[in-house]
Amino acid sequence: MHNKPALFGWPELISVLVLAAGFFVPMYTRSVLVYSILNQAFIGVIAAQSVWIMLRMNLLSFASPAFMAMGGYTVAIAGQHDITNALILVPAAFLIPALTSIPLGAMVLRLRGTYFVLVTFVLSQILQLLLFETPGLTGGSNGISGIPPVTLFDMEFGSNKMVLKFACGLAILATIITGVVTRWFRQPFAAIEENEVLAESLGLVVWRYKALGFMVSAGVAGLAGYSLVNMLLTAHPTSFESGSAVDFIAYTIIGGRATILGPLLGTGILVYATNLFGTHGQYAQGLYGVLIILVVLVARGGLTGLVQALLRTVIRRKA
Amino acid sequence: MSELRIESLAKRFGGLRVFQDISFTLPAGALLGVIGPNGAGKTTLINVISGRQKASAGKVFLAGRDITDQPAYTVSRLGLSRSFQQTNTFKSVTVAENIARAIRFGRRGAPADLPRMLDEFGLTPRLAEISDKLPYGLQKMLGLVMAFACSPQTLLLDEPAAGLERSERQNVDTFVAMVRKAGASVLIVEHDMDLIRRLCPRILVLDAGVLLADGTPDEVLARPDVIAAYLGDSEEAH
Repeated sequence: MHNKPALFGWPELISVLVLAAGFFVPMYTRSVLVYSILNQAFIGVIAAQSVWIMLRMNLLSFASPAFMAMGGYTVAIAGQHDITNALILVPAAFLIPALTSIPLGAMVLRLRGTYFVLVTFVLSQILQLLLFETPGLTGGSNGISGIPPVTLFDMEFGSNKMVLKFACGLAILATIITGVVTRWFRQPFAAIEENEVLAESLGLVVWRYKALGFMVSAGVAGLAGYSLVNMLLTAHPTSFESGSAVDFIAYTIIGGRATILGPLLGTGILVYATNLFGTHGQYAQGLYGVLIILVVLVARGGLTGLVQALLRTVIRRKA
Repeated sequence: MSELRIESLAKRFGGLRVFQDISFTLPAGALLGVIGPNGAGKTTLINVISGRQKASAGKVFLAGRDITDQPAYTVSRLGLSRSFQQTNTFKSVTVAENIARAIRFGRRGAPADLPRMLDEFGLTPRLAEISDKLPYGLQKMLGLVMAFACSPQTLLLDEPAAGLERSERQNVDTFVAMVRKAGASVLIVEHDMDLIRRLCPRILVLDAGVLLADGTPDEVLARPDVIAAYLGDSEEAH
């Protein structure tokens, strides 16, 4: 009855392989549009994974933009001091939001349902306000611009091609972290997701797993912030608007909550759709909304859930 | 041994008093029934003892240790488990996974009698089934077995027979007997008077949050104030 969890499964492996394909894109195209869409997708995937980690415990978090800002501004401030080495900045972009999430988690993780949603949304708004109101540290409404590109050993990730590769690398790293954590703690997370009261009454220290999930989610969001700042070479409060959490949540819900493939698939489709609909000007938001409604109506478990259900039906019919 | 001692326990929700000044002792290995009309505070009493809700006043001691207001997971790991009035399992996973989680989360190891208990209630052949697909009676028994799978020294059962068919209620008797054979003490909250009379050598009666009576079933159920609490006053009863 007691199996040790595998640290990596097929969904995680497929996610990493799909993301790794991004490394080879510059061999086939130099299209700025393609690079831009892929960069958005990589950043979106990381942010959606941050949401997904919390959804594994049935907690819908709107705090991702706040933690993205922490990761992004950490890199931007370090850049002002000529610290550009990815070996320093990647851990910093992960750890600073993750550590900050500990006291924040102590406050918000007591809450459930709509209260948790509301408070995490407010958290993102407060952080954005702080970014505007602390110009000495964050540049205030001007943000921090002219951030030097990332360096790793002798490489400089300044060109479009290298920015794309760096975003791709961060997305893979975030996927590995997310995959390992959600696999390793799969049973406690699943128990909390399904029946928190029962899990606690059986002896599960629920707050510990929630705090751990919140920390990792914050750290992963920090990596998304790093990727965003590295793409824009600017850190600005408007890049981390609390409303962007809605997009990341939509990526996860549309893709499906069941496996880590959900955030990947959802992000891929919705980022592409955003750019596609963007050519239709005023109708873009409406078309985007229609797409989300359609998917939610047809596939309540998200697209990966729909695929799983179809596969099960096919297998049952063959049997 | 694991004696459960309750001293002047009280619970309020704002201005609403649920129960007050409840004191009793459940000796190690003993069996105690708690009865009372709906709204008497029985389930809340279990919630407070098991750490699900905080006490407004009073103390709870388990094996001499003060466990008042300790979180539910601490209370469980100290050896006090509970079951729930409604069927309460992890519905999307198999029976086996439900049992495995109870053992894993409880961290006290699986009780030796667990396989026999699974056999007894017909759960062994259904270990691979998703628990939500089980008939109601089996889901109820699974919830009880999960509480036992934590290897408790004290077990609080909240209406274990609620919703069970008459033929299935015998399983509750068997369950309680097996738990006691394993050395655990049992506190059972129940509306089924036949079951209470069959199982419990001693019962408490709660009415409107007050401990009305404490004694053997025959003594307690013959008392006019207990009859009045269940059936209304004598005029209404007639």
